[in-house]
Amino acid sequence: MAMNLDRRNFLGLAGLGVGAAALAACGGPSTGGSVASSAPSDIDFTGVKAAGSFDFWTSHPGQSQTVEQSIIDKFQAKFPDIKVNLVTAGANYEEIAQKFQTSQAAKSALPGLVVLSDVWWFRYYTNGNIIPLDGLIKQLDFKIDDFQKSLVADYQYANKQWALPYGRSTPLFYYNKDHFKAAGLPDRAPKTWQEFAEWAPKLQASSGAKYAYIYPALAGYAGWTLQNNLWGWGGSWSNGWTFNCDSTESVTALQWAQDSIYKDKWAGVSSKNAADDFAAGITSTTISSTGDLLGVLKSAKFNVGVGFMPGGPKAETNVCPTGGAGLGIPSGVSKEVQLAAATFLKFMTEPENTAAFSAATGYMPTRVSADMTAVLAKTPQIKTAMDQLAVTKVQDNARVFLPGADQEMAKAAAKILTQQGDVKATMTDLKATLDGIYTKDVKPKLKS
Amino acid sequence: MTRQLTGSPAAPAQTVQAPPRRGRWSGRTRRDFFVFLALALPNLALIAVFTYLPLINNMYYSTLDWTLGSASATVVGFDNYINFFTSSDAPQVLGTTLVFTVVTVGGSMVLGLLVALALNAKVRGTTFARSAVFAPYVLSGVGVGLVWLFIFDPGYGVLSWLLRGIGQQSPQWINDPQLSLVMVIIVYVWKNLGYCAVVYLAGLQSLPKDVMEAASLDGANGFRRFMSISVPLLSPTTFFLLITTMISSLQAFDLIRIMTPLGNGTSTLIYEAYLQAFGAYNRAGYSAAISVVLFVILLIITVLQLRFVERKVHYS
Repeated sequence: MAMNLDRRNFLGLAGLGVGAAALAACGGPSTGGSVASSAPSDIDFTGVKAAGSFDFWTSHPGQSQTVEQSIIDKFQAKFPDIKVNLVTAGANYEEIAQKFQTSQAAKSALPGLVVLSDVWWFRYYTNGNIIPLDGLIKQLDFKIDDFQKSLVADYQYANKQWALPYGRSTPLFYYNKDHFKAAGLPDRAPKTWQEFAEWAPKLQASSGAKYAYIYPALAGYAGWTLQNNLWGWGGSWSNGWTFNCDSTESVTALQWAQDSIYKDKWAGVSSKNAADDFAAGITSTTISSTGDLLGVLKSAKFNVGVGFMPGGPKAETNVCPTGGAGLGIPSGVSKEVQLAAATFLKFMTEPENTAAFSAATGYMPTRVSADMTAVLAKTPQIKTAMDQLAVTKVQDNARVFLPGADQEMAKAAAKILTQQGDVKATMTDLKATLDGIYTKDVKPKLKS
Repeated sequence: MTRQLTGSPAAPAQTVQAPPRRGRWSGRTRRDFFVFLALALPNLALIAVFTYLPLINNMYYSTLDWTLGSASATVVGFDNYINFFTSSDAPQVLGTTLVFTVVTVGGSMVLGLLVALALNAKVRGTTFARSAVFAPYVLSGVGVGLVWLFIFDPGYGVLSWLLRGIGQQSPQWINDPQLSLVMVIIVYVWKNLGYCAVVYLAGLQSLPKDVMEAASLDGANGFRRFMSISVPLLSPTTFFLLITTMISSLQAFDLIRIMTPLGNGTSTLIYEAYLQAFGAYNRAGYSAAISVVLFVILLIITVLQLRFVERKVHYS
């Protein structure tokens, strides 16, 4: 169809275009100038009255919906004027982060309290999405000294506390006691991966399982668990803001992992969930989150043993990264809501409640004074996770502070562990990617 | 309509025929126009608010360096486009999109036609078979993805169990990026071929029987009748399916999201746009630029199809 574009049509179209562009510019972010990269550091809550209700966004880590609701019920009994709406905001940390970020962009429907994982909270900080909790901790007397120090330290930056620990976990070494017994192995986790490499052929020969060890699913948190291997060999994803994943030590660590699959053939890589594979008897051992402990104990039809994460040739201890999720308060809600959320946050993290949460999920209690006697009597394996806390290490900056780095690490791990890609070349590429992310997305937002 | 124009006082008054003014309508035309507005405006408003406004917004966002969740952004012009096309990911993403689209469109249409031919046969049980073939199309992509993930699981999936029965190891469908793409394509074709089959079946049943009978009398065998009569006469159906399935394949999301959340080997343009904004990267501006690239590709393909492919279509 022919169309005559006369002056009137042209002006009409031009007007439409300008109108559309103006309309588009009305929404979205501000481009008028720089906005502070973080929320105000000191918020005065003097004279603020807590809101009557707020939303608590959670992904129910460790299938914790029931225990979360029971804690909320207890809270309501104590604080009848503050109603907590328990909202399932996603099935995992990524989905809840997606919903939270989308609400930030839409500037609406924000919760008062939100679950934020180890790899997400820093982004919320740099975007100014969460408030520092220091003032509230002081005003409401959180007894911060009673929290597990390493877990609280995970959320500190620029001398401020940006979240508090909630569903906190570390990786654990899981082993099939029956397989170990049949192979004539001691009833314990290996001290080092070298020791396990000696055990693996015996396990394979006697257990009937497909693998002696299975690496966690790469689509999960490969960057998290592989820190154990990297640290054991003296390597890391990064040292401070220097990305050294292509160092000789890091490459050697991952070459050893690749060899365990392709050369020595006693290891495999989980497709979906290593804990499920382990519980199904596909493998004699694996490493998985402490948050999987109760699920494994429930579904496995064999005796389950757990132990500390194995070390490597360069480090036998302090090779276990912290992990899991905390709770933060958004900056985009009113002070009244923030105060109400903080009141609940304090209640949620009190010793008896963190013990109840731990008993229901397998996550670690975040308070030193939490009475775990009853929990440990029922599930003694949790003690191993608690004891391991003393030798945990804060994660590498590259994994927890760079947006998308965890995915890039998982892709690199996939190349090495499932496609037998060249380790050195893959790590060199990863380093370039991490450098790029840091330079573009993080460095400009860091306070000097 | 005439208009009297007056020249200088000295000049004699004259009457000239003025051109008809545009925009003056008769009462009936005006009434029709208001009826049109009353009927069309609500729909146009909805389309404008929920389709065109987001589209325009997205184009605007594609010119920003904007981290999702951040209240501020920087205008960067075409940098996001330049960054995408010069990134090492671009060839992989575009290649994956091409392979996924070509294979799923081709697979769905060819298999759909074959299934339609089978369903067109006058034998018992075709009604049930038609329902069974069409059923996957209306199922939730999330549910389909989860069930097929269990089938493909190399550890304890049904396929793995069958392969072990004949002494074979299961391929690493989920961890190997190339096999992941094959896996997603298989499931996508399985889910969508019912749609093609039903549309082709309708086309087959509307073919003129007299032409077929005449060809039979002239000695044309079944294959010849199919190639020389059915296929040309089905060309409007094929053309329709080509456009709709191609647009659908380029927008495929749910199966990829459920079956390969990392997008390792399966990151098509639309999934890459999702990963960049709502995955771990939060690059909203960059993601918007990828979306615009997809939009332009869809637009070009559709225009080309309408302009060139439609000429080959034989409308009876």
